Order: sequence, then structure tokens, then C-alpha cells
Amino acid sequence: MPDILEIVGLTKRFGGLVAVNDVSFTVREREILSVIGPNGAGKSTLFKLISSFLRPTGGEVRFKGERISGLAPHTAARKGVVRTFQETTIFKDMTVRDNVVTAHHLRSRANLAGFYFGSAAARSDLEAFGVSADEILAFLGLGAMGAETASNLPHGHLRALGIAIALATNPSVILLDEPFAGMNHDETRRALEIVRKLRERGITVLLVEHDMPAVMNISDRIVVLNFGQKIAEGTPAEIQQNPKVIEAYLGAEDESIGL
Amino acid sequence: MRKSRTATLRIVSAILFLLALLVAVPLLISATGRSDLYYTLTSVALLSIISAGVWITFYIGRINIGQGAYALMGGYVSAILVMNYGVSFWLTLPLAGLFCAAASVLIGLPILRLRGVYFAMVTLVLTEVARLLALALPITNGASGIVSIPLPTGISLFGLTLVPGFATVANPRLAFYIVAVLLMALCFLGLYRLAHSRIGQLCQSLQQNEELASSIGVNIAYLRVIAYALSSFLGGVGGAMFASISQSIYPSSFTVADSVNFMLNCFLGGLGYVLGPMLGTFVLYFGWDLLFQTGEFQLLIFSTLLIVLMLVLPNGLLSLALPRKRSL
Amino acid sequence: MEQVIANGLYLGAQYALIALGLTLIFALMNVLNFAHGQMYVLGGFVTYTIYGQLKLPFVLALICSGVTLAIVGALMEKFLFRTVIRRSKREESTMLLAAATAFFLDAIMLLLFGEKQRGVPKIISGVFVSDRVILPYDRIVVGVVAILMIAAFMLFMQYSKPGRAMRALAQDRVAAQLMGVKVERYSMIGFALGAMLAGVVGGLLVSITGVNSGIGGPISIKAFLMVMIGGAGVVGGAIAGGFILGMMESVGLATLREYGDITYLVIFALLMIFLSIRPHGLMGKPWG
Ligand SMILES: Nc1ncnc2c1ncn2[C@@H]1O[C@H](COP(=O)(O)OP(=O)(O)OP(=O)(O)O)[C@@H](O)[C@H]1O
Ligand SMILES: [Mg+2]
Repeated sequence: MPDILEIVGLTKRFGGLVAVNDVSFTVREREILSVIGPNGAGKSTLFKLISSFLRPTGGEVRFKGERISGLAPHTAARKGVVRTFQETTIFKDMTVRDNVVTAHHLRSRANLAGFYFGSAAARSDLEAFGVSADEILAFLGLGAMGAETASNLPHGHLRALGIAIALATNPSVILLDEPFAGMNHDETRRALEIVRKLRERGITVLLVEHDMPAVMNISDRIVVLNFGQKIAEGTPAEIQQNPKVIEAYLGAEDESIGL
Repeated sequence: MRKSRTATLRIVSAILFLLALLVAVPLLISATGRSDLYYTLTSVALLSIISAGVWITFYIGRINIGQGAYALMGGYVSAILVMNYGVSFWLTLPLAGLFCAAASVLIGLPILRLRGVYFAMVTLVLTEVARLLALALPITNGASGIVSIPLPTGISLFGLTLVPGFATVANPRLAFYIVAVLLMALCFLGLYRLAHSRIGQLCQSLQQNEELASSIGVNIAYLRVIAYALSSFLGGVGGAMFASISQSIYPSSFTVADSVNFMLNCFLGGLGYVLGPMLGTFVLYFGWDLLFQTGEFQLLIFSTLLIVLMLVLPNGLLSLALPRKRSL
Repeated sequence: MEQVIANGLYLGAQYALIALGLTLIFALMNVLNFAHGQMYVLGGFVTYTIYGQLKLPFVLALICSGVTLAIVGALMEKFLFRTVIRRSKREESTMLLAAATAFFLDAIMLLLFGEKQRGVPKIISGVFVSDRVILPYDRIVVGVVAILMIAAFMLFMQYSKPGRAMRALAQDRVAAQLMGVKVERYSMIGFALGAMLAGVVGGLLVSITGVNSGIGGPISIKAFLMVMIGGAGVVGGAIAGGFILGMMESVGLATLREYGDITYLVIFALLMIFLSIRPHGLMGKPWG
């Protein structure tokens, strides 16, 4: 499989703190790659760099050979690299369906004036958005909740809605920041299923997650960060045996990594 | 089918409302002889246009206390074009709006990155900047302002008089009233369309979460600037109309207090409703006018009422009549 | 040159004190207090009445200004802001409330004291003259008192129990509540303290510039400026903002005089440029 993303010497400094330090790896098309590491390792920062929410201090990110780091977030999204947020992030006063309909922005063929005056392109856009939104909601098991105000959803569904919003942009690469956080066992199982189905849709998935059993279960490959540096990369089996990884986790806290 | 029925109902009631303003009100006024009401109603119509601009910035999640700056700017642009260059007032009206929109793009690019109280404070300061500029620039003629601006001239096309010169009509007040009502109708029609089209949805996405909006590919900087330019356009047009009606403009014509009032109008009507600024302006202006009889206690009673209203209806007057909003 | 610096320090000290009150209220309650300038004016009128009219000692008048405003601030927080914050869907509503309160205070002062400019006898006469600096003694006294009050305020915030509680509250409301800080009580104390600072400065300055019921709005605008320069909700920022504005005003008045009244235009222009580089001022937290 060809490489879809190349991360080359990526570095981000916040004042004196180096949150991401010279990190390089590649992501293959349609793989599920997880980034793990102790709290504060720089995982979210890495994701923000890849999705152009932050400007790197050094290095760059290439998507299909083209530099996409250091642009604006909406430009990266336009090219097909879309992130979800670590905290639950939705349009809270809109209905669930409107959340997803709104997120179809990148698929519009009409321009703003067209939408304002209701041109033919705009009308067909709106119709298509509605159809696609319903399909996405059904895909994520939110079909029955379309009319609900988003902020009223229970936690697990909020996470799913976050993914639904990202899906609406029709991404090639989706970056999920701790999608299973705060989920119970059942919810996690369903969410894992969703991530697998994302791949079946042809989407490349990057995942930050602390739930080790889930990570080991689903990932094709894993990248491990500690203090901003990449300390390991490999298949789940390789990572579980890597002494550096075990040390990093034991050193940070007494957290089992699901061995 | 129910949807199209309510749509028809809306259109019919909007037309009836407009007819009432354009026909019934003038009839009533001529019957009662209270022609001073023309001025009051014209002011309400124009102020609600200016406030509608503020409403748009609220719609993208910014608290705008700088609208007075653009109203002042619009007034001066129109006055200077009419006085110094002999441009027809009717042409200066859109020009004033466009000038303000262009200025707001330049100002907005840096300041729209600010949020919350930071944006609110900067815009407040902006009003003060506009006043000081009007005092300092040579072309605005300092504190003495620009006075004796001629009334709007007529418009004729191929010898056909479309709009008579206001100096020649029997009742210029009525003429201004009609123009103001038409402008207001146009403005709120446009606003309604905006709020109920996909653009409205995008604006709301900005209001509720800018980061998320940019993650789904919305160019938030661009949309913000567009909305702010639109807002300032309305401010400029309203200001130009005011300058023409009072035939004068001074640095103190629109001050910080006015900017605050425009914001209050929106709040009072309810930020979640397109007609909020119109209702808010009407209530605030008439409330203020009615209290005129209380003499020196006017401001005291007025502000007490405002505070009480805030305590009782913190989400605006329209939250009484309308339940929480529809989905698209 | 030295003269300009001396004037700047004198202005800066009083400005910093005004900005401190505003920023304290903002940090604790996320309320942009439009009525801050009016509170200053009210403090001025209290001192005017007690010291100027009743001929009682100036210090007593200052204390009365502070106490009156503390009471006004506490009442405002308890009966107005607390309710609206609880009921409203939007945090902006407090801004409307603050604006309405500003109108209300304006109205009260207009009724009680009229529109005229009011002054009081000098607290100390005489002028300090050296070869470089000429400064009236009363200005020196006012400047020094202001600086002492800033120091006292900072010590209070740093070491006293209420001060620590308020700092915790400003950091993170929810966490402070979990730690057992009585949120409502300290919000009220903070509001009272902020109002008191405004009142005391108003009282101090009545002895030099006098007071009239129309200057509340312009004072608020200056306070906003300082807070924007320094960063909203940060004590150090308010002090820095106050001194910077004082200095800029002093320099501006000295150098730009021949061009007319454009000092503030220049300051605004600089501020715009500055804010486009540093949107949250010198020390502000993002989106505070
Ligand atoms: N905007 C910022 N300014 C300054 N420091 C930051 C900023 N964002 C992150 N950091 C710091 O960078 C480091 C890495 O943060 P990051 O959020 O990327 O960690 P993380 O691996 O996602 O942690 P977690 O597992 O807790 O989510 C942390 O020390 C954090 O404090
Ligand atoms: Mg993280």
C-alpha cells in the first residue's frame, strides 16, 4: 500500500517546552495507526500539527506528497485531512441532524451567493446533504436521534456525533483524538466497530487513545511518543514487547498497557 | 405541505405589516395631527437597521459595541459626497454603506481574531476612535461638523420623475418616513433570508464553535469578515440616512452611548430572533420617548426598567412569544 | 524628559488602580463592568460631599468613598449579577446588565449632584520644584497613596485568606468550588473590592481634577484600554496596562501638543497594531 501521509522531522516548541520533538513516520493508505504515550507526551499536539491547527516549529507533513502543514485548518480539511477533538466538540445548540448537515460544507458546489439566493446548485446541494447526513447518522447508530438538540445527547453518542461531523467532510484521513475516552465496555466495543467500518469506507484512520486493549485490538501499527519524542514504532505485538515502551509507561505511572 | 402553508402565512403577514406601516400609519397620523410621530417612527426604522448590523455580528458570536463608528462614518461619507462633490444623495446611500464595508474589512481582519470581551472592548474603543477622527480630520470640519446638508434631490429617468426632490414635496417628513420603512423592510427581508439559508447555518456554526467549524473546512476568517462587512454596511446606510434627515452631522452624532444602545436593542429583542433588533429598537425608543414626561427622572426610570427587564427576561422580549427555535 | 516621566508615573499609578478593580471583577465573574467609570465618579462625589461640603478630614472622606462603593458593589453582585448569570442562556447578558447599571448610576448622580463640575479645596498646597521636575505636592501625595494602595492590594491578594480564595476562584471556578471555596461569598467580596478601588481613586482624584457626572463613560473606556494592553483578568496586566497608558498619555501630551488633540488617536492606533500581534495583551490568558 502506498504512503498517504509522511511526517518528516516534525517539531513544535511552546516557549521552552518541546511538545513534539523531531518526530518522523509514515502512514499507509487505509491503515489504522495509533499514537500512544503517557499524558502530556505530545499526542494531541502532533494531531494538531498534522491537521494544520498549529504551525510547526520545524519539519513538515506531506499528504500524497504535498505539504499540508502550516496552512489553515480549513485548507487541510479541504485536502482531506480532518480531525476530531479530544474534548467533546459539537455545535451544541443545533439538532443532531443539523450538526451533520452543516458539516457537509466541503461538499457544496454552490457558493455563498448561490445559497443565499437559492440557486439550482444550492437546492440540489441541500438535498444531497440531507440524504448523506441521514446515511451517516444511520451508519453511526444515531439515526433515531436526528431531531434531538445535540447538547442533550448522552456521552457515548456525543463522541459518535463528533465522528459523524468529521465524516461529513468526506475525508481521506481522519484523526481521532481519544474517541473511546469515558466510554463503558459496550460503548467501546461499538466504537471499535465503527472505526473498522471507517476503514472499509476507504478512510485512513489515525488514533490517539489511552485504552490499551482497544488500541492493541484495532491497530495495524502503533507509534509511541514520550516527552515529545518517538520512542517506538511497530505492530501491536512488537510494541507490547518493546522494553523502551514498557519503561516509559512504568516510569510514568503504574498503568497497565494491557499486556 | 404544512411547511409551504406557514411560509405563505409569513409572507402575507409581512405584506400586511408593511401596508400598515405605509398606509395605515400615515392615515392615522394625519387624522390625529401628530406629525411629530413621523420623526420618531423614522428614527426607529433607521436605528433598527443599524442594530440589525449589530445582530449579524452577534450571529457569528461577536459582541459588537462599535456600530456607532460605522454609522458616523456613513453619515460623514454621504454628507461630504453631497456637499463637496455634488453627488446625488441616493447614490451616496449605497456608497456610504460600501465605504464602511471596505473600512470594516481592513479593521476586521486584525480584530475579528479576538473573541468575547476582548472583541467587545476593542469595538467600544473603535467608536471613540471614530469620534476623535471626525474631530481631527480636516475634511470633517472638526467639532462644528457639517451642516445645512441639502435635502435629497429627485431621481428621474428619461424625463420621468421616479422620486421627487424632497425639497419640493409638501411633507418631507412623510417622504423620509416612507424611505426609511422601505429600507427597513428590505434590510429585514435580507436578514431573514440570511438567517434561514445555509449561510445562517454556517454563521451559527461559527457562533457555537469556531474550531470545529474550521475543522469541517469552513474558512472562518473569510466568513467572519463578510459578516462584519455586512454589519458595517447596514451601519453606514443608517448613518447616511440620519445625516440627511437632520441635514447635519457632528462628531458627537453617534457616540459610545449609541453603540451601547444598538447592542441593547439586539439584546432586548432577543439575539435568537431575526426580528429581535426591530422590536428591541421600537420598545427602547418609545419607552425612552414616553418617559420624557417624567422630566429629570427619565434616565432613572428608564434604566431601572431595563434592569428589571434583564432580571425577568434575560433572554430577550421575543423569548416570551416564541418558543425555542426551529431546525432548518 | 524627567517631567514627562514624573507625570506618567503619577497618571499611571491612578490608572493602574482603576484597572485593578475592573480586572478583578472580570477575573472572578467574567463580567465586563461597564459601570466601572460610574463607580469612580460616585466615589468622587462622596469625597466631594464629605470633604468639600461638610469640611471633614480628607482621609475620612476617602474611607467613606471606599465603604460606600464596597456596599454598592456587594449589592450589585448579590441582587443583580448573580441572578442574571444564573438565569441567562448567554454570558453576554451580563454586559447588558452592566450597561443598564451604568445608566442607572449616571441617573442617580445626575439627580443628586447635577451636571456641574465639582471641585474641592487642595489637600496640600505648594509645588515641588527642582531644576528638572515641577510637580505640585498634592499630586505627589495622590501618586504615592495610589502606589501604596496597589502594593497593599497585591499583598492582600497574595497572603490573606480571602485573597487566596479569590485567586483560586479566578483560576478555575469549578475546581475552587470543589476545594471548598465559597464561590458566592467570594464573588461578592471581589465585586465589592473592585468597586471599592474605583471609589477610592475617584475620591483621591477629586482633590486634583474635580468630578462631574458625565465622565463615567470616558473613564470606563480608559479602563478597558488598560485592561486590553495588559491582558484581561490578570493583576499584573492591569498594573502594567495602567502605567503604560499613563506614560503614553504623558509622552503624547508633551510631544503631540502642536498637532491638536490627537494623543488618543495615536494611542488607539498603536493599540490596534499591538492587539493584532498579541491578541490577549501582554499577559492575558487566551479567550479569558
Ligand atoms: N498551546 C499550548 N501552549 C503551551 N503548552 C502546550 C500547549 N498545548 C500543549 N502544551 C504542552 O505540550 C505538552 C504536550 O501536550 P499534548 O496535549 O499534546 O499532550 P497529550 O499527549 O495529548 O496528553 P493527554 O494524553 O493528556 O491528552 C504538554 O506538556 C502541554 O502542557
Ligand atoms: Mg491529548
